[in-house]
Amino acid sequence: MTATAPTYPSVVPTEAPALLLDGITKTYRSKAGAVDALRGVTYHFARGSFTAVMGPSGSGKSTLLQCAAGLDQPTSGTVVLGGTKLNGLNEVTLTKLRREEMGFVFQAYNLLPSLTVHDNVALPLRLTGRRPRRADVHRVLEQVGLEGKAKRRPAELSGGQQQRVAIARALITRPSVFFADEPTGALDSGTSRQILGLLREATDRAGQTVVIVTHDPVAAAYAERVLFLSDGLLAGHLDRGTPSQIAAAMSDLER
Amino acid sequence: MFYLSRQTVSRHRSLYAGSFVALAVGVFLLGLAATATAATIAYRGPLADSITVTTLGGNDTAPTQVRVPTSAADTSGLQVVLSMVGTISGFITIFVIASTFAFAVASRRREIGLLRLVGATPRQVRRMILGEAFVVALVAALTGAVLAELATPLLLRKASYTELAPVKLEPASPWVPLAIAVGIGLLVAMLGARSAARRAGRVGPIDALREAALEPPRIGPVRIVFGLLFMAGSITLLTLIRPSTGEGVMPLAMFTPMLLVIALTLLAPLVVPWISRLWALPLTAWTRVSGSLARSNVVAAPRRSASLAAPILAISAVAGSMVLSLSFAADSAEATIRDSLRAPIVVTGDAKLDASLGTVDAGVPLQFVRIDQDSAELEDAEGIDPAIAARTRNLTPLSGDLDKLTGNTVAISKEMSSLEHYKIGDEVPVTFLDKTAAKLRIVAIVPDAFGVTPSFLIPLELAHKYAPTAEPERRFILPAPGVDVLGTVDSAVPAADWEAAQAEGVRKGNQFGLIMLLGPAAFYSAIAIANTLLMGSLQRRHEFITSRLLGATPAQIRRMVLWESSLVGAVALSLGTAITVTVGILIRHAMTSGMADVAVTVPWGVLLGIAGLCLTLAVGSALAPTTYILRRSQPSAAVE
Repeated sequence: MTATAPTYPSVVPTEAPALLLDGITKTYRSKAGAVDALRGVTYHFARGSFTAVMGPSGSGKSTLLQCAAGLDQPTSGTVVLGGTKLNGLNEVTLTKLRREEMGFVFQAYNLLPSLTVHDNVALPLRLTGRRPRRADVHRVLEQVGLEGKAKRRPAELSGGQQQRVAIARALITRPSVFFADEPTGALDSGTSRQILGLLREATDRAGQTVVIVTHDPVAAAYAERVLFLSDGLLAGHLDRGTPSQIAAAMSDLER
Repeated sequence: MFYLSRQTVSRHRSLYAGSFVALAVGVFLLGLAATATAATIAYRGPLADSITVTTLGGNDTAPTQVRVPTSAADTSGLQVVLSMVGTISGFITIFVIASTFAFAVASRRREIGLLRLVGATPRQVRRMILGEAFVVALVAALTGAVLAELATPLLLRKASYTELAPVKLEPASPWVPLAIAVGIGLLVAMLGARSAARRAGRVGPIDALREAALEPPRIGPVRIVFGLLFMAGSITLLTLIRPSTGEGVMPLAMFTPMLLVIALTLLAPLVVPWISRLWALPLTAWTRVSGSLARSNVVAAPRRSASLAAPILAISAVAGSMVLSLSFAADSAEATIRDSLRAPIVVTGDAKLDASLGTVDAGVPLQFVRIDQDSAELEDAEGIDPAIAARTRNLTPLSGDLDKLTGNTVAISKEMSSLEHYKIGDEVPVTFLDKTAAKLRIVAIVPDAFGVTPSFLIPLELAHKYAPTAEPERRFILPAPGVDVLGTVDSAVPAADWEAAQAEGVRKGNQFGLIMLLGPAAFYSAIAIANTLLMGSLQRRHEFITSRLLGATPAQIRRMVLWESSLVGAVALSLGTAITVTVGILIRHAMTSGMADVAVTVPWGVLLGIAGLCLTLAVGSALAPTTYILRRSQPSAAVE
């Protein structure tokens, strides 16, 4: 672990990065005063990479993810996703980019309770105005191991199954980047392994880029690189670390 | 997105049950008013009981033939009442729908954020909400229309042979009126849903990641501008409620409260927190924790509180000012009757009166059709002996000379002269019920004396000539010195008794109108109040469970909800009271200026009843679901 360095070379710097953050800062203003959540983060996420972002509570992990995904506007700095600069895009363009290029998996499973599993998975396609083909939906459900559950509603599924539906929904549009915020936060370790395995597969098999925010060293160990964030700045990284190495680095950081 | 709308509606059945019931009842009332109006339009009285006259024309209007029904078989009274029932129902419907939809959107913030996250554009979200509104509205409107069609024969049976429609009414073809009611219902629903949809469109994808955050406290500038515009409009109308406006004050007193309600509802998110803080002062002093919790909940969610308060405010203001205005109108009518009668004794019935009793003013009531430039109307008139009547009643002319009331002449009331712009010397074309046409020259304008003297006075001999069978209905007596009329004539009563009976008749008539007008609106508002509070409480399951987890007892939560709903009710009722009092004071001044000793009858029972009912409904419908939720959820459910 080294001290803060301005940039980190991508693991595979051969292609244009899938996601580029350049000098991202984010300041929240409230009556109590200004809070700097991010104080200048620059990083290139390579195409097909699996990166975990770790850090103590309040280090800015979730803000980083939200800015990277265009869910929140950074106070300064630029975000470029697959060659498109996100700054200043209007809401509709951003939405269209989000549904074509990005997939989201969050701790709360974020499924629409009124729709069946099939309809939840098909929703992003429907929103683009395409008529989802039954075979496509079936294929992604099979991929996450939920074949035969298409007609269930989210309430009838376990937490792990719901999370797999969320992954299937993210997979169906074949996004170039997956964003996952504590995807295993509410799951037991066995189910967590399945979920992380699915994300790992997305990078290995389809060359999709995965960025996950987590505080779980076991989850982070699925990534080939772990970024450590502290007080809104990148504080270091660890490549191909084992869970115990990652845990040690984390406790260093929190000290 | 329509597909999604259909799915979400069936999922959020409880959320939309409120909107459904509200709109179905609204369309039911509208439909009923429409079919009944159609029945009155379709009604054709016997042709023999009508007179056809030709209007005068002039001022760009050609003379036309008008058929004026002369028997009592006139349904226009019912038509007026029905149109007002329709207006009030439509007015309340917009309110209820707008607030229930606003609620539905507010409580689904996270879900809408999620849709945005997976790629729905703001436009798609708006369309989804409007689609949901349409699904609910269509089903509700059709249900309401079917119910209205089923209830129409019942209503017509009840309405037939009453004061308002003294004839037998038969249902007419329901298709057009019901289509109109359904159309209005859908339109009103979509208008109400529009602002909710727009707000839903502004929900960002990031809202999916936040726990149901507090709503943004600010209200948009457009809303404020419209609120202020409505306020300015209402104040302008309020200044018109003054003596010089004459007969127009009553419609103003009924219409202005509605505008004020709209203004206050638009501005409510600004106004409600302030008044809540005021009302909460004693509450926080009395209770330990539940009162201050309730205050924070009401003040911190001004939009929510405002939409809970809206239906209570609407019905309390509209009903309150109507009740008070009509009561004051009756007071002023009572004073007018008292001031207009000078004779000390009135004989009702047809007892034979001896000339030795004293001076007998035996005016003969009759009717004629008064012909105008573009219309003709049946008017009440009385044939009098001006020399006698001038002594028994207050007929001192404001202008002209009552002694000239001989031959083809007429004296008219001040109200009629200002309404129709008649001057002394004008000739009024009339047709008597025996179909004789005549021109009556105006010789005097006398003070209004509603209940004692009709608007048209003609010489007694003219009345005998054109209405030979007419008999006096009441006679005013100035007894000769030393004669005891009360002792000798059975049907003789002191003037004060007769005046009281006349005033009572006015009040009874008002009461009947009030029940017709406010009955459906009150019923509807009751549903609306229960509806919004019920929905409001059902949405708070999570919050209640968390509070339980933090150690709040079910009793504490119930107390908090009790104070909260009372607070909202108190705020709404204080605004409603402010409107009622303002309108009441203004109309009282307008109606009694120039009169002395007018009684002040405030119908406390009815007014307090309205307030009590609103409060009971509000508290009851907030507490009932709370109890239900608390019984069904243990604190452990918070971890789910």
